[in-house]
Amino acid sequence: MASANDSKWQKDAADQNFDYMFKLLIIGNSSVGKTSFLFRYADDSFTSAFVSTVGIDFKVKTVFRQDKRVKLQIWDTAGQERYRTITTAYYRGAMGFILMYDVTNEESFQAVQDWCTQIKTYSWDNAQVVLVGNKCDLEDERVVSFDRGKQLAEQLGLEFFETSAKENINVKAVFERLVDIICDKMSESLDTDPTILNNPQTKRLTENPNPQNSGCQC
Amino acid sequence: ESEVFEITDFTTASEWERFIARVEEVLHDWKLTGFQQTQPLTKGELSTAVWEEKQENITFADFTFVLSGHFIQKENEEKREGSSRVPTCYQDLMSIENDFPSRAHCLTRWYGLRNFLVVSPAPNMDDVMTESRANVVLSSVSIALNNTACFIPVFVQIHQRWRRFYCGTCECAGARTAYQMVHLKHIPSQYSHLSGLLEIFKSKLACPLNSLPPVSVAVRFTYMLQEWAHYSWPQQPPDLDSLSEGEVGLTEIGQLPFGACEDPVSELHLSVTWPSLSEEMIVDTNVYSDLDPQQAPHWSVRIRMTESPQCLLGDYLREFVKVCKRLESTDQLLGASLLEDDLEMDMSQALDRLTEPVAYKMPSIGRVVTKATSKLNMKPEDAPIPSDLLNKILLYLFPDAKAEDTSATQSEEATGGATTPELFKQFKSSPPTSLTYRLSVCMCIINYSRGLRAVAHLWQEFVLEMRYRLENNVLIPDLEAGGPDMGSSLLHQKLQMLNCCIERKRGREVQLAESLAAGEKVLHDYALAKQHAANPSTSDDEEDEFFECDEDEAKSPGVTPEDTAFSDAHTHQADGRSRTLDDMRLLYVDEPLYVPITQDPSPMTEDMLEEHAEVLAKLGTTSEGAHLRARMQSACLLSDMEAFKAANPGCSMGDFVRWYSPRDWVQAEGLDEEGNVTVKGQLSQRMQIPGNMWVEVWQSAKPVPARRQRRLFDDTKEAEKVLHWLSAMKPADVALRLMPMLLHAAVSKVKGQDEVNLAPISQSVAQMTSRATKVLRSPRIDVRLLQELVQRVAQLEIAVTRAQSLTTKLMAEKQDVQIEYSQLQQFVAAALEQPEIPIIGAARAPLGVIIHRLFMTSQKPAYLLPEEGAEDEGDKSSKPPAFPAAVGREYILRTHVPRPSPWSQATPQRMYCVLMDDEFRLAGAFSCDTTFQ
Repeated sequence: MASANDSKWQKDAADQNFDYMFKLLIIGNSSVGKTSFLFRYADDSFTSAFVSTVGIDFKVKTVFRQDKRVKLQIWDTAGQERYRTITTAYYRGAMGFILMYDVTNEESFQAVQDWCTQIKTYSWDNAQVVLVGNKCDLEDERVVSFDRGKQLAEQLGLEFFETSAKENINVKAVFERLVDIICDKMSESLDTDPTILNNPQTKRLTENPNPQNSGCQC
Repeated sequence: ESEVFEITDFTTASEWERFIARVEEVLHDWKLTGFQQTQPLTKGELSTAVWEEKQENITFADFTFVLSGHFIQKENEEKREGSSRVPTCYQDLMSIENDFPSRAHCLTRWYGLRNFLVVSPAPNMDDVMTESRANVVLSSVSIALNNTACFIPVFVQIHQRWRRFYCGTCECAGARTAYQMVHLKHIPSQYSHLSGLLEIFKSKLACPLNSLPPVSVAVRFTYMLQEWAHYSWPQQPPDLDSLSEGEVGLTEIGQLPFGACEDPVSELHLSVTWPSLSEEMIVDTNVYSDLDPQQAPHWSVRIRMTESPQCLLGDYLREFVKVCKRLESTDQLLGASLLEDDLEMDMSQALDRLTEPVAYKMPSIGRVVTKATSKLNMKPEDAPIPSDLLNKILLYLFPDAKAEDTSATQSEEATGGATTPELFKQFKSSPPTSLTYRLSVCMCIINYSRGLRAVAHLWQEFVLEMRYRLENNVLIPDLEAGGPDMGSSLLHQKLQMLNCCIERKRGREVQLAESLAAGEKVLHDYALAKQHAANPSTSDDEEDEFFECDEDEAKSPGVTPEDTAFSDAHTHQADGRSRTLDDMRLLYVDEPLYVPITQDPSPMTEDMLEEHAEVLAKLGTTSEGAHLRARMQSACLLSDMEAFKAANPGCSMGDFVRWYSPRDWVQAEGLDEEGNVTVKGQLSQRMQIPGNMWVEVWQSAKPVPARRQRRLFDDTKEAEKVLHWLSAMKPADVALRLMPMLLHAAVSKVKGQDEVNLAPISQSVAQMTSRATKVLRSPRIDVRLLQELVQRVAQLEIAVTRAQSLTTKLMAEKQDVQIEYSQLQQFVAAALEQPEIPIIGAARAPLGVIIHRLFMTSQKPAYLLPEEGAEDEGDKSSKPPAFPAAVGREYILRTHVPRPSPWSQATPQRMYCVLMDDEFRLAGAFSCDTTFQ
C-alpha cells in the first residue's frame, strides 16, 4: 500500500505544500455518522442525511503541528457488511483509525470489538486507533452510556471520545488527538533503537538507523 | 659559497626556543598547567573509563613531531572530598587497583598512568634513532613543562615505531621521575625469573639505605590455548561442490546453510594473577617457583575470535543481494544459448523432430507437458542448471507435481493455518511453508552455487510453470487460500492473485461443463454464459446497460417512498437464489425474501489497490468528485441489486435495503384505524434523498442472476497481467522481490541455530527483525538498506557460531563438573561482549576446572603421540603438566625509597617487566628528590 512518502500520493490535489501526509480511515457500522463526522471536520458543515457511502470516499484537510504542515487524507468507508472486503483492503495503508459507533444504537456498539479485530488483522501493528461514540447530542435516545464506552476503550487500549457531528462536539479534538498519537509513535520508533550486543572484537552489532527521508515510514 | 657576510642576529629566537614556546602554547591550550588534586583511581577504572586523546603538530626546525595527550575522563570531577595531596603521577605508579588493565594504551599498561603526553615523530618523518636526539627533545619539553608548571609525565618515542620504545620524565613535588626502558628480543637467562628482575630493580635504585624496605610484587602469567585440535569443530565442512555434482537432496535445496567454515574461536588466553605479594614471601627462580597457576587468587580469560570468519549464511546472502544490482535481462543471459540451441537442433535433430512431434520451443505456451519439469528447451551442456538438478528443484518447489493425477483435485489444502511466530507477524514476506518462501531459498542457493545465469534460468522455468498451471487449471500449491494478503510481499500477492484467477477460471469451466450436461433446457443460459466468459471485455452494449438510468431519473424528479419502492414486475422466473433471510417476506408480494448468489468482490494486490486509490484520489474532494467516485464503485452495488431482483421477482428497494443495509429500513409503531398497534417500515431519510446513488442504481438494475452478469473480476485479464509482470522481471528484480522472504528465512535460520540462547543474541535478532520489518514495508525497497540488513544477519551468524563453538568446547570438558548451564551461558555471553572475563573462584570454581581441563586435553596429543608433538620441546614425561609454558609473564615491582641520598624524601619506584617468547621489556619509573640531594 502506498505510504505517505510515496511521491505519487503527494501529487494530487491543489496543495502540495506539506511536510507529512497521514492517511486516516473512519470505520464503523452503517449509519453511525461517519460521513457527517468527516464533513463536519473537513468542511464544517452538517446535513441531517448524507447519501449512504458506496465503497470508499475521502476528504483532505491540512493541519499544523509543531510548525509542520500535516496533510490528512481521511478515507470514509461504507459500513455495510457487504463492503467489508473492499474497505479492509485499505487498512494497510492507514496510519490511524477512527472507530465509530452510535450511542443511540446498541448494535453498533456491540460491533466495536469486531472492528477492532479487523484492524488487528488487516493493518500494521503501529496503526493508531481512537474509539468514538457519535451522536451524543441525542441524549433522549441514548442507549450506550459514556462509562460503557470509556470502559470498552480502556479494555481495548484505545483513546475514547464522545462526539456529535451535529452539534460539533469534540470533532476537532478527535482528529487532533489522533494526529498527536501518530506523531508520538513516529518519533518513538525513530528514537528507540538501542544498542545491545556490542562486540568489541568485531564491528558493532548495533542498530544504525538510517536517516529517514520524510519521517513517516510507518 | 658566495656569501661574503653573515650577520647573526642573536636577538631572534632559535629553533629550539620556538619549539619550547610552541609546546608551552599547546599545554596552555589544553589547560594542563598547575597542580590539580585528584582522587585515587577506582578498581579497573583505567580499562573501563572513556579516554580522551588530543593531538597537535609541533616542529623542531624542519622536523615535525606530534604531541599527543591522553587523558582519562573522570565522571565525578567536581567531587573533591576524597582527593589526595599526593601528585597524580605518584598515585598512579603505586596504585595496585589497576595492574594489568584489559584494554589500555601501552604506557598506561606499563606505568599505570591516567594522564600523559607523548612526543613522537610525525608519520612522514624518520624515526628518532639516537638517544642524544631523544634527550634534546625530552629536555626541551621538560623545560616547557617546568615553565608552565605542568605535572603530567611526558614521553618521547625513539627507535622504530613498532618497538614502542619510550623514554620519559615528570617533575613534581620536589622530585623527578625518569621513565626508562629496556627492550630485547630474547630473555636473558639470568633475568628470566623474579629473582633476577629484583636484582635489576635493586641495583637500579642504588638505594643508599642499609636495609631496603621490602619490594611488593604483582605477577600475572598468561597461558594460551590455541590447539583445539582435539575437538573437531562441530560444523561439518560444507561441501560446496555437492550442488554442482547434482548429488543433492531436497533438504539441501530447501535449507539455507549456516555456520562458519573455520573455527570462529581461535584462542583462549588464561591469565592468572597474584595482585600483591611481598618479595620475601615467594621464590621464583630458574630451578624452583612458588608461583603455581592453580594457586593464583585471580583468574581471568580472554577469548580471541577469528577475525571475520567465512560464514556460509552471510556469504550466500551477500552474493544474492548483489544480484539486485545486476542489469542483465533474462534474454541477455539466456538468449544467446537459446538461439544457438534452436539452430543446432535444426541441423542435427531434424529427423528427430520429424519423428517426435512434441518438440517445443521455449516460448511455446499452451503445451501440456509433464508437470513441474523443465519446460525450457536448452542443450543440456548450455543450461546453467543441469536438468537433473532442475527437475529436483522444481519437484521441491511444486510437491503436488509428484502426484500422478494431474486433474484439478489436489493442493487445495491451504497453508494459511501455519502459525507464524510472533516475531514475524509483521514481517512483509510470506509464510515459511509457502512456495514463495521456498523459491527465495532455492534462488539464493542456486545463485551461490551456479551464478546469475542459473537464477535467470530457474526464474524462466518458474514463470513457464505458472503459465502452465493457469492454462491447465492447476492451482499453484502452498499459497494461502483467498485473495492476496497485503501483509505479505508483493511477489507473494501476485502469486496469490494468479491462484485466484486459476480458481475462478476453473470454477467457471466446471460450471460450464455442468450446465452442458444439464441438457438443452439451459442451453440458452449456457450460450450466454459462454459468451460472457469468452469475451468479457467486448460487451459494449452491456456496459451501456449499467448506466442508462438517466432517462428514468429524468422521468421521476421527485422521488417519493412509493416511487423508490419501484416494485419489480413479476415477469420473470426466480433465479440465483442462495437462501432465505430469517423468515423475512417481501413487502408487496407474498414470497420469502431470498438472499441472492452474488459475485465475489475482486481480489486486489497492493499495487492494484494503490493504483485504484490513486484514481479515486485524483477525482478531488469536490461533491462532483465524490459523486463520480461513488459511481465508479457502484458496479458491485449494481451487480448485487440485479442478483437480488433476479432472486426475488416482484421485490422492492425496501426489500433490498432490509437485506443489504438493515439500518436504512426504519420501523415506526403506529395505530391503524381500528386502534391496533402496527409496525410500519419505510426507507431511511438518506435513502429517500432525491436522485441518490442507491435509487439511481436500483432503477437501472435489471433482474440478472450473478452467473449471467458481466464479471466484476476479469480473471483472464488479471492472470495475463500477473504473468506479464512475472516474465518482465530481470534477475535483479526477481532477487529484489525475493529478498523479503530470504531475510525472513535467514533470520529464522539464525534463531533456529542459536541453541546457546544467549540474551544478547536474542535481543539483536529482535532488533534486526524490527528494522527489517520497517525496511520491507516501504513501497520501494532500497537495495542499500537490504545490504545493511544482510550485513547484520551475517554479524548475527558470526556471533551465534562463536557462541556455539565456545559452548561446545566448554561442554566437552564439563563431564562431572557441577555447573549450571546458565553460568556457562553467562560466560559465553560475556566472552562475546567483553575483552576479559574474570573467573570468580579461580581454579576452584567449576568454570576454572573446565578451563584447566581444556588445557590438559590440548596437551595430551603431544604427550601421547610423540611424533606429532615435535613442536613441543618440553621434556616428554608420560604425564602432561597442568599448564603449558606461559606465553607471557608480567611482573610489577614497587617500593618507596629515598633517593639519591639517605636524607632525601622517600619517593615511589616502580618497574614493570614483561617476558615473552620474543620480547623482553623492562619499563622502570625511578624517582629521586631534586631538593635534598
